[in-house]
Amino acid sequence: MVVSAADVVLSAEGLAKRYGDREVVSDVSFALRRGEVFGFLGPNGAGKTTTIRMLVGLVKPSRGRIVIDGHDLRQEFEAAMRRVGCIVETPDLYKFLTGRENLEHFARMLGDGAAGRIDSLAALVHMDGRLDGVVRTYSLGMRQRVGIAQALLSDPAVLILDEPTNGLDPAGIREMRELVRRLAGEQGLAVFVSSHLLSEVEKMVDRIAIVHRGRTLATGTLVELTDGGRRGLEDLFLELTGGETV
Amino acid sequence: MPVMAGLVENECLKILRRKRFRLVLVVLAALLCLVVFAQNRQQQNQRRDHPERDWRAQVEKRASDLERQAGQRRMPENWKRWMRYESGRLRYYLSKNLNPNELTGPVFTRTFAGVGSVLLIPLLIAVFGADLVSSEFAEGTITLLLTRPVARWKVLLSKVVAMMLFTTLTLLAAFFLAWGISGVAFGWSGWGAPMLMGFRLGPGAAGGFDLTGVRMVPLWQDTFAAWGLAWFSALAVGSITLLLSVVFRSVAAAMGTMMATLVGGTILSRVASDWDGAKWFFVTNLPLPDFYAGLPTPFEGMTLAFSVWVLLAWAAASLAAAFLLFTRRDVTA
Ligand SMILES: Nc1ncnc2c1ncn2[C@@H]1O[C@H](COP(=O)(O)OP(=O)(O)O)[C@@H](O)[C@H]1O
Ligand SMILES: [Mg+2]
Repeated sequence: MVVSAADVVLSAEGLAKRYGDREVVSDVSFALRRGEVFGFLGPNGAGKTTTIRMLVGLVKPSRGRIVIDGHDLRQEFEAAMRRVGCIVETPDLYKFLTGRENLEHFARMLGDGAAGRIDSLAALVHMDGRLDGVVRTYSLGMRQRVGIAQALLSDPAVLILDEPTNGLDPAGIREMRELVRRLAGEQGLAVFVSSHLLSEVEKMVDRIAIVHRGRTLATGTLVELTDGGRRGLEDLFLELTGGETV
Repeated sequence: MPVMAGLVENECLKILRRKRFRLVLVVLAALLCLVVFAQNRQQQNQRRDHPERDWRAQVEKRASDLERQAGQRRMPENWKRWMRYESGRLRYYLSKNLNPNELTGPVFTRTFAGVGSVLLIPLLIAVFGADLVSSEFAEGTITLLLTRPVARWKVLLSKVVAMMLFTTLTLLAAFFLAWGISGVAFGWSGWGAPMLMGFRLGPGAAGGFDLTGVRMVPLWQDTFAAWGLAWFSALAVGSITLLLSVVFRSVAAAMGTMMATLVGGTILSRVASDWDGAKWFFVTNLPLPDFYAGLPTPFEGMTLAFSVWVLLAWAAASLAAAFLLFTRRDVTA
């Protein structure tokens, strides 16, 4: 598959993050293309959440560069972030507000009629009719879906989800998978999904990167990485990391 | 900036829905009821115990009591200064044939500006101000707030504006509650009553009572100035509270630190009268309405202008530190 530079909506080059004297992320690079679901796979502590925090401007990289839809994140924060929606770790909303008030709150941060999209987004994530309950009373799955609706308010090119299947039951996981596939397929969104469980994202991703101890070790489609399916991804992972399983 | 209006609306919505501000109003009303009730009882008791005495005799007695106490050797120096000031003021009122103790709703309201800006109003501001930023960290919502296409300084600016709005609301509420509640007991009218202002104590332990600057202003004018100064003090407290709210990730830590500082500072300015470094501390400078009225300052050499500048410096430094910290810090977990 030939990929032109114009297809890349998010690129990370040589990202590193040091906390004190400990380097948590050492060398993470990848490019995210329009309309694909990209899996970011690695064991707990590999540096997935730290990488995501750098991608969305919460943490300043010690090294490396992030470009989102042509905008350098450090130099053009607002322009870059307008093209991104994200849920980092848990979907923390204002618990004392209703789902609708939360969405209105974040719509006001965007201006330009984002509030007009609330109802259609609620329908998209199957939350229509339940938006007027206080978030405190929502299940994790409901919060996750309001969180995704919130992430889509700015009509972004990239959706970043950090371990979105964590804590969901099998039905919830299936629903999440279908939603992610639909967003990538119908809306042309690039979706970045991190996970430490290969089995939970295997069926939703187009390409994956394997990250271990703060480094991206391999990137490619599942077919490429498994030699056309001749060997399992588990084996590849064991080979790359020397023992730890995904 | 159309987005800024939306950001401020968001912050106001969150303050109101967290219900802390309602607590502030309830506490304010309850305390005022209590104080007015107590003052009313005191006034009634005095009338019952000394029905025969007219106000001149009472003021005369109070002034000479104060002078006698101020002559005692073991009295702390700043108490002596206050006593000499108060007796001088009372005697001047007598000489003008004005009753300094005439208690009306408006007089109560004027006095409350000074009393309230020392501890009560700052504490109430700490109650709703301490969680402006720290609660976003504590509840995890900071992640969403800072991953929207809005620069961090704008997010914090909207919180500063909301802090100022609600500080102003607190002061307005305090004014109208003080007048409304005290009026029930002492009457709501009397805004035109003459007030004598500008008494001054000379320097040192033996400094004389200086009457050259004394002037007469209508009470409403004095009250307006006093509440304006109380508002200024309150904004300084709000700015410092906001800094603590940025520093601490827990609401309790931010609120507790601010409250301990306010209470500790108040004690300090009462007891540490010979360490005059304390005059640079913001808490010492909070009672601007009292300094404006001419009441002796806790430390010699402090003036109204000095205190205004000290508070301004504290507020500006706090806001600058808050912006630096908030826009630079890594948001982890
Ligand atoms: N603020 C921090 N200070 C120090 N170490 C941290 C901090 N945040 C994360 N780490 C460490 O960095 C490593 C990677 O963490 P994280 O990015 O959360 O991994 P993952 O999401 O892949 O499980 C972990 O070992 C974690 O303990
Ligand atoms: Mg993680």
